[in-house]
Amino acid sequence: MINESAGAPAPIAAGTLRKSSSVASLRSSTSSIIVPEPWFRYDILPSEWDVLWLSTALKLLLFPSYRSTDFEVHRNWLAITHSLPISKWYYDTTSEWTLDYPPFFAYLEKLLSIPASLIDPMIVDLNNLNYDGWSVIGYQRTTVILTELVLGIVLLKFVRGSVEPPIQRIISASIFLHPGFLIVDHIYFQYNGFMYGILLWSILMARNGNKLASGILFAVLLNFKHIYMYLAPAYFVYLLRSFCLSPAGEVQIKNFLSLANAVIAVFVVSLGPFALLGQIPQLLSRLFPFTRGLNHAYWAPNFWALVTAADRVLLKYARLTGADIIINESGVASSSRGLVGDTVFAVLPNVKPIHTFVITIAFQLIWLLKLWRNPTYKSFLTALTLSGWTSFLFGWHVHEKAVLLILIPLSLLAAERHAYFRTFVLASVAGVFSLFPLLFTPTEFVIEVIYSVIWIGAVYTPLSRRVYEYPKSMSYVIMDALEKLYLAGFPFLLIFVTTFPLLQGGVTAHPDISASAAICISSEAFSCPESENWSAQSSREVSALQFLPLMVTSIYCAFGLVWSFLRLGFIYLHEETTYQGQLSEIK
Amino acid sequence: MHKRAIKHWVIPTILAASTVVKFAIGLASYSGQGTPPMYGDYEAQRHWLELMVHLPLRQWYTYDLPYWGLDYPPLTAYVSWICGIFAHWINPAWVALDKSRGIETPDSKVFMRTTVVLLDALIYVPALLMFVSSWQGTRSKRTQEMSLLTLILQPALLLVDFGHFQYNSVMLGFTLLAINFFATGQDLLGAFFFVLSLGFKQMALYYAPAIGSYLLAKCLFLGPTDGGRLFIRLAAVTATTFILLFLPWLPPFAPVSGILQPISRIFPFARGLFEDKVANFWCASNVVFKWKTWASRGFLVKLSTGLTALGFLPGVVGLIRSGAAMSKTKFEASSVKADEKETPPFLPLLPYALLTSSMSFFLFSFQVHEKTILLPLLPITLLLSGAPIGSSVYSWGVLVNNVAVFSMWPLLKRDGLGVQYVALLLLWNRLIGHNPFRRPQSFIQYLSMAVYAAALLLHALELVIPPPSRYPDIFPVLNVLICTPVFFLIWLWSIKCGVEVGWALGGLGGQAAERRSSEDAGVAATTTGGSFRQSGGRTVSMGYAQTSKMEMRTTGIRGSSVFSEGS
Repeated sequence: MINESAGAPAPIAAGTLRKSSSVASLRSSTSSIIVPEPWFRYDILPSEWDVLWLSTALKLLLFPSYRSTDFEVHRNWLAITHSLPISKWYYDTTSEWTLDYPPFFAYLEKLLSIPASLIDPMIVDLNNLNYDGWSVIGYQRTTVILTELVLGIVLLKFVRGSVEPPIQRIISASIFLHPGFLIVDHIYFQYNGFMYGILLWSILMARNGNKLASGILFAVLLNFKHIYMYLAPAYFVYLLRSFCLSPAGEVQIKNFLSLANAVIAVFVVSLGPFALLGQIPQLLSRLFPFTRGLNHAYWAPNFWALVTAADRVLLKYARLTGADIIINESGVASSSRGLVGDTVFAVLPNVKPIHTFVITIAFQLIWLLKLWRNPTYKSFLTALTLSGWTSFLFGWHVHEKAVLLILIPLSLLAAERHAYFRTFVLASVAGVFSLFPLLFTPTEFVIEVIYSVIWIGAVYTPLSRRVYEYPKSMSYVIMDALEKLYLAGFPFLLIFVTTFPLLQGGVTAHPDISASAAICISSEAFSCPESENWSAQSSREVSALQFLPLMVTSIYCAFGLVWSFLRLGFIYLHEETTYQGQLSEIK
Repeated sequence: MHKRAIKHWVIPTILAASTVVKFAIGLASYSGQGTPPMYGDYEAQRHWLELMVHLPLRQWYTYDLPYWGLDYPPLTAYVSWICGIFAHWINPAWVALDKSRGIETPDSKVFMRTTVVLLDALIYVPALLMFVSSWQGTRSKRTQEMSLLTLILQPALLLVDFGHFQYNSVMLGFTLLAINFFATGQDLLGAFFFVLSLGFKQMALYYAPAIGSYLLAKCLFLGPTDGGRLFIRLAAVTATTFILLFLPWLPPFAPVSGILQPISRIFPFARGLFEDKVANFWCASNVVFKWKTWASRGFLVKLSTGLTALGFLPGVVGLIRSGAAMSKTKFEASSVKADEKETPPFLPLLPYALLTSSMSFFLFSFQVHEKTILLPLLPITLLLSGAPIGSSVYSWGVLVNNVAVFSMWPLLKRDGLGVQYVALLLLWNRLIGHNPFRRPQSFIQYLSMAVYAAALLLHALELVIPPPSRYPDIFPVLNVLICTPVFFLIWLWSIKCGVEVGWALGGLGGQAAERRSSEDAGVAATTTGGSFRQSGGRTVSMGYAQTSKMEMRTTGIRGSSVFSEGS
């Protein structure tokens, strides 16, 4: 199947992949005619090479850009895994950035530390904290680009086996060039491209019917980064229903055993050494620190951001009208600063981890029931997306970066039909916008904004043409108009977010203070002692205003993400059976 | 509907994407970052903001000269003044007199980088847009877009302006606007913009012989009455613009000797023959022949001036002879009154003449910097932008562009722009569809292959072997020895093309006129081309004459590739 469709769609493909690549493919494709015989054969089209080379050039240019503390986190892990025996990996506290990813990621760091030590031994020196020499920047940034090739290869494989390669090629390119990866990986610094590569590989295996491989790959992924547990319920139900049980409901004992054994084997390879050392409790305590608050430093655009905002509004209302509402005074000061810590509500009842857990499970169950009854690939993909989405919206202490967990699988559904496409556009615009505050330095901010605008334009134009449907009734027309209105609000939000600090800066004239606070906001959760000191010094009014752009961004994006979540859920429950689309055709 | 919508968005997308690239380059370090006490070009430019904001005009060219005293013409000073006012308004600490020396705060860097991007967007980008619509107005939309992309992401200029830190795109933009206005027949506006270019950076003088002789040729072409009138008008516009630019240093605003202040700063003949290592004739020949020990500076100045003049002479002569010859034939052929607004048929010679002239200055003149290669790069990239892949213009253009970036490697390395160097070469070559590893088929492609191999080898050597202590400069010198022959060849090539195009246009004096009457197939073909332009419109296709001539020689089908390439 893969080989058959590999060479055929070349002419269509060169025409459909627009913007970033078509300009280049114009010349490179004409030039390829001149070449008598390539030196070796590969089934990668010129337009696909264009995407790779041009994006790599941009990523190289981003080498000297802003790096979050995650950069030092990963450098420290290189040092830990290189200079310490495995028994001390999860115990070392030389740096405050302790190892808190599962063992496979630690093994990867160990692997990466070997060339690093040859290039510059200072990189892997455990006590060389905050090392920012040219060698370490170049090396770590390069490893991100290289490991991301996993994603690129998997996305190519998606095109090769797809029913409609030109459309899938656009989707693949859009994922490879996703602003989320550019912002979080190539500027902010993380290895998401690599790990989403494994996730998509697993999904690809599910599409191709190789469910055992899909399950194994997902188990591997879980041992790289445990955040993917958000998706685990959908995997569990899908593999159980469609692989371990026959359509009639009989247990396929052979399948079940092979899957179970394989997954257990993966976990043994990962956790085995630490189990032998008796370190599993320590490892788990590193992986799951339950000491954090409901909201992350900058509120992730989820349901709790809306609830927190509602609490603020109710508090204001209570203060203004003197209404008879019990106000929790400790909640008045809390979280309005947008700082890390326990969120305590002033008016609404407080939220405990168990509440978030129950709500998440309740929503998950709806999707999982549907998936159980209809365990097709497309249904799995939708349930997977919704599963991640539910966790993002209702989970405890969710990071804004986790929005990729929604956006990446959702991209695969984008071209199914107009309803999916609109959901994709709403979620992508809101989700990518919610990532903007991660970068607060002016140049990086300009780059991420322009890049994202080009990206959404380049994805929107060809796909919208492909999926356009005439609205069925008046209510659809109204909904369509409201959604467009919501999207049209983003430019104004952008203007507000960029001009507000300038106006504020003129009033407060504390550039140093606002800078240190901003750095703290954008760094990884953990703690921000210096900004606590600062907030004690300055009045609460000023600080509340300081974080107003972040809160407004978070709330506005949360509306879009909650709405598009409900939208996808509705489509999944109601329209799934009536639709025969490209993904439904795949057995 | 949608297709049209996409087409509308191509050029805005190119502009937006190139802005991303420019800002991304700006993330890198700049020249002289963290190297007190003098820092580098960045500090020079920033320092001028500080001077212009705080000092009266009279002191601009005299204040503390050893610390980056102003040595550019007044327009640079005026632009710095405006930027300085903004800087002072946003944060006075960035431009505090004397106290801000060597300031390296992140926000001041962002401000300075932004001024480059904005000035580029205000002058160079519009000039490029006008170029594709005027010079390539008859070409397909696709070719125009491709050509814009080729020009806007030209790696050498991006690296120097947005990485190293300078405002070359302003000077180049003014010159390009001048060339565009020549193409639309608005010679006075063209002359005005060229004077602005000169007034921004004296380096634009490299183009002056070509531009001057083009305008002279236009006057000759129009004949004694109209030409004479145009000549006087041009002289008036040029002189007035210069006077306005230098007004504060002229009487009555300053004593008569006042003008000497800027002039002596702008033309520093007191410096040496060449600085650093630059891939020109003097530096390359210096390896075997120590000029400085052999001759006095006075003699060297004369010698270099003479060689430079000799070097640009072919371009100048070509233009003027075409002008003169065509003027005669025009009067014989028709009694139509010559129109000043009409584009002269020898316009296609202009880019070649610009290339000959600027390359001659680069190779032979006094006091050349490695960054000056940007000047010859403009005309060759303009030619390249409209050329089909595999044509000789394309191959030469790509080679010179890549070699020019390579020739600046020692500078870029010093600035900490190594990654940007790799990234931009990769980006640009990929975008224009150039594959340096393709099997070569012509002389120029074999040459390119050899040059790239040598360059790669040199990079590899530099990476693994430290320079021997006897020859600490061995790598820059080898770099010069690789680049100079290429620049020398492109200079010869530009002369050859100039002659060929001139010949194809039928403008080489009496013999050409005779040849035309003898119904030579080729010349007949190009004459139709000429009359097409005369009747059809004022726009001319860049590289048209050159390509059509090539086609004639090989296949006999005129210009097929030019018109079919984009469709």
